[in-house]
Amino acid sequence: MTRRRAALAALAAVVAVLAAYPAFASGYGVRATLQVFMWIVLASSWNLISGLTGYVSFGHVAFFGAGAYAGAILVAKAGWPWLPAALAGGVAAVLLALVIGYPCLRLRGPYFAIAMLGLNEVLRALVSYFEGLTGGGNGLSLPTLDATIPIYYAMGASAAMVTLVTHAIITSRFGLRLMTIREDEVAAEAMGIDTGRHKLYAFLLSAAGPGIAGALTARDQGYIEPISVFPLATTITMIVMVLFGGKGTVWGPVLGAVVLFVAQEVVWTRYPYVHPLLFGAIIVAVVLLMPRGVLGILQIRYRLPRTI
Amino acid sequence: MLGQVVISGILSGALYAMVALGLALIFGVMRIINVAHGPLLMLGAYTTYFLYSALGINPYLTVPVSMLVLFVVGVLLERTLVFRVVDAPELSSLLLTFGISIALVNLAQLLFTSDLRAVEYLTGSWVVGPFALSKSRLVAFVFAGALTGLAFLFLGWTKLGKAIRATSQSREVAMVCGINVQRIHLITFGLAAALAAAGGALIAVIVAIQPEMGQIWTFKSFLVIVLGGAGNYPGALLGGVLLGLIEQVASLFLTTQLSEVVAYVLLVVILLVRPTGLLGGRQT
Repeated sequence: MTRRRAALAALAAVVAVLAAYPAFASGYGVRATLQVFMWIVLASSWNLISGLTGYVSFGHVAFFGAGAYAGAILVAKAGWPWLPAALAGGVAAVLLALVIGYPCLRLRGPYFAIAMLGLNEVLRALVSYFEGLTGGGNGLSLPTLDATIPIYYAMGASAAMVTLVTHAIITSRFGLRLMTIREDEVAAEAMGIDTGRHKLYAFLLSAAGPGIAGALTARDQGYIEPISVFPLATTITMIVMVLFGGKGTVWGPVLGAVVLFVAQEVVWTRYPYVHPLLFGAIIVAVVLLMPRGVLGILQIRYRLPRTI
Repeated sequence: MLGQVVISGILSGALYAMVALGLALIFGVMRIINVAHGPLLMLGAYTTYFLYSALGINPYLTVPVSMLVLFVVGVLLERTLVFRVVDAPELSSLLLTFGISIALVNLAQLLFTSDLRAVEYLTGSWVVGPFALSKSRLVAFVFAGALTGLAFLFLGWTKLGKAIRATSQSREVAMVCGINVQRIHLITFGLAAALAAAGGALIAVIVAIQPEMGQIWTFKSFLVIVLGGAGNYPGALLGGVLLGLIEQVASLFLTTQLSEVVAYVLLVVILLVRPTGLLGGRQT
């Protein structure tokens, strides 16, 4: 119990430092931390569907992009303030997830993974097609607004929220049912779990975070275009972060997001062409050599509880 | 106009069918969806491009060479990486082949750059009555039809082909009958890569190629399998031609951007209405 208390105290200290950080940090520091928050939201959200149920989403950036466009259109065309627009971005992403998830998640097998593989391209094509609303390939500019610090807090709150939700799910019966689906879907069905519905709920939850993060990022950058909000590289990065940190855990995606973001900033920006190649290699290596990720290995070695 | 659409649809449909047959074979025999199928097709296209531009070999003569090269690449990938996830949960095999696909695409970008490259060999069209037949597409159709036919002859009449179908029906029973299942997996993977390579080689003559060209082919091949019914190899033929026709009809009414969307909507609708494919379940 003391270990638990110490962990909570450390967590509270980290949150306090991060909350006070913008008061004394440089502009770069705030921006970099904002990015880390964004990656935590994306990685933890991917973990909700793929880490917990075993259904791989190869197109999760689609929800980021959908949220970015929904938020940006509401701000630029309808004059909404950015905070409600960000929430609306989350809602838009969840609706999109419902449309895709309902037909694809009713079935067992690889249908969902492949459907997600194509989704990104489809959204990019649609955004380019509906030029009147989205500005097409020319992109969409938002009114200028210096809100980096409020957005820092909003993104930080989103990251905390996704992590809390993941913790709540993993320690709940709902989470156990999801993990049962991952381990053996036939057995899960035989035990009376409505697998289709459970997978869909997990998927809807996993779309909300990226939607909000996309809308916040769009507001922060002030300009979006199809290439900037639907890059395949973003999906790859979140997958690598989760696999590296440890899929199906609460803190694995957070660990992966922090470590890989720092590595990316410090080392890999010098080798822009090698690092996507390296990501492919990391995925292969992690799947074959340490499928539980770093945290999974620590859990076993130090007998940490399953619910971290 | 309709005749032209039907002809174009069937021409590209044969290509879809051939490439998708490779994906269907791996799925049927190993129960793995190979996300790297499209990138293997891309490697086949580059093999043909370099044989043509560096050595000046007729691109259609390079088709068997590309197939052979990619057969070897496929066998190596299976032997070193993919065989490890054959019995693992789906998550592992999907992620592993996804990782391979990313590595292949980015390796190609490093080695070949992302410049568009074209094999300018057979351009223009033959005009037959009211119809215009693109020369390169027509030749691709003939090649794809012949290779697909050969593949079916191989599966239907040779001992090895029968062993492949047996493994796809039931691995355990195949083992009991004395079939070396590991070897069948290896050959199937190589064969599938070779079919993808043939597709890539033929596509290189039709359109300009670049390292990211492959991903859409993974998706389309999968759509063809879903249309025809997973595990049903003749279904891939029907699925391929159907996808070709639907895309052509869609391009009559929509911009090229949106015809990509049509293929996607089709996948979602089929999964909603008839998830076992148009021809129904597994019959090998």
